[in-house]
Amino acid sequence: MTDIAFEDKHLTLEEGETVLDTLLRAGYDIPNGCRAGICQSCIMKSDASEEIAHAQVGLSDAQKTLKYFLSCRCLPSSKINVQRISLSSQQTNAEVIDVSMLNETVIRLRLKASIDYHAGQYLTLWKDGRIARCYSLASHPTLNDYLELHVKYIKGGEFSAWLRSDVRVGDIMKIQGPFGKCIYAGEKEQPLLLLAIGTGLSPIFGILQDAIAKKHQGKIHIVVGARSKENFYLVEELQKIAAQNKSISLTYIYQEETNTDTITAQNNTDFASKGDIYQYCKERFDNLKGYRVFICGAESFCKKMRKQCFLEGADMNAISVDSFISFTEEKTEG
Amino acid sequence: MSLYEKLGGEPAIDAAVDIFYRKVLSNDRISQFFESTDMEAQHAKQKAFMTMAFGGPNNYTGKDMREAHKGMKLNDDHFNAVAEELVATLNELKVPQELIDEVVAIVSGAKGDVLNK
Ligand code: HEM
Repeated sequence: MTDIAFEDKHLTLEEGETVLDTLLRAGYDIPNGCRAGICQSCIMKSDASEEIAHAQVGLSDAQKTLKYFLSCRCLPSSKINVQRISLSSQQTNAEVIDVSMLNETVIRLRLKASIDYHAGQYLTLWKDGRIARCYSLASHPTLNDYLELHVKYIKGGEFSAWLRSDVRVGDIMKIQGPFGKCIYAGEKEQPLLLLAIGTGLSPIFGILQDAIAKKHQGKIHIVVGARSKENFYLVEELQKIAAQNKSISLTYIYQEETNTDTITAQNNTDFASKGDIYQYCKERFDNLKGYRVFICGAESFCKKMRKQCFLEGADMNAISVDSFISFTEEKTEG
Repeated sequence: MSLYEKLGGEPAIDAAVDIFYRKVLSNDRISQFFESTDMEAQHAKQKAFMTMAFGGPNNYTGKDMREAHKGMKLNDDHFNAVAEELVATLNELKVPQELIDEVVAIVSGAKGDVLNK
């Protein structure tokens, strides 16, 4: 039996349980969010270096040196002692400077905080020190003096509904991060393929800004997908960027017509076409050898697209993915 | 020189693993085993597989192989399909026939463990 020593108690891990599972089962109040090693809200500390190594994926060197690990990922094979760490040591205070709706379902949140990040990375946002959610950055570290995140509004959603109705400009929000490695790494000559669905546009927008800022030489193909036409947002901004750059192509593909299409914010009926985004990409990009591909959005989309792009010839390590995982109570989809 | 060195070592495996994984994912006889959500992790395991097949350094024992493949209900046809895709990959990379034969010998040697027989 594997033993956990925690706050003067000895707990026994059951078959297949993570350290977090065991502590929660024993009734301890341990902060946690995604339970998938993404949000880092369940971060803890242990001296058992060998037992925690597999649960340190995504942590910084500093965090590893401090022997931090993610309790939701940790499946120890022998005795382990674990300690809480002060979550506030991992968090930064951010001031809300804007919360507004970009369309019916996308909330734009702008924050002011001093963090170093790369365009395309993500943050964990905290509500009341209890609820953690991850959102990807649309902003650029040097072009913008704010952090921008696009949050899909879900009716009754524990976080997004609160953000929409209760959060005000001037409020202080706790944030953690940045995390993630879905970033532009300066492969200037390679053609880029940027694929976004729903609020996957957030990191794609950041990556695009970064590629342009770093004077990307190769072609940049952007394909944005959504369920229906009214779900598209930031259309004018993207069109403007595309119009200024001859090497950028921009395509909008939506799945189905809805009867509210006539009242789209853009009043422009031609910018998007109806179709299947997978089929479209397959036909248009039938040989991705040499491409650098970024895929951002819902998990199902990322999974299917990654496979398709790989089979169309992109190298596995030339495909970067930012896949939105679903948290326990809120599905971040599309 | 070992087989692994003759085949070109780790760089050769890096070149081969994408080709091999692409073939496996496109093969209806076996693709279902390799479509895990985490393609990156799966990719790493393909690399482990190739390293073994190339006679390279690895720490897998026969017991590990049984453990890794147990519960998949693999049969001869699955095994042959993987072996065929491996050979096709090596042919595509223009590996000489005598080296391919050696790879096939290694892979065949692991058959009992992989099929849990
Ligand atoms: C001689 C033939 C084979 C060898 C040497 C071999 C070797 C390996 C190795 C080294 C791993 C990684 C284990 C780990 O680190 O977890 C692995 C995993 C795997 N193998 Fe094989 N393999 C063989 C045949 C097959 C066949 C015929 C199939 C199915 C058609 C198969 C399906 C898999 C799958 C799905 C995994 C991943 C399991 C997981 O995700 O945990 N293998 N194999």
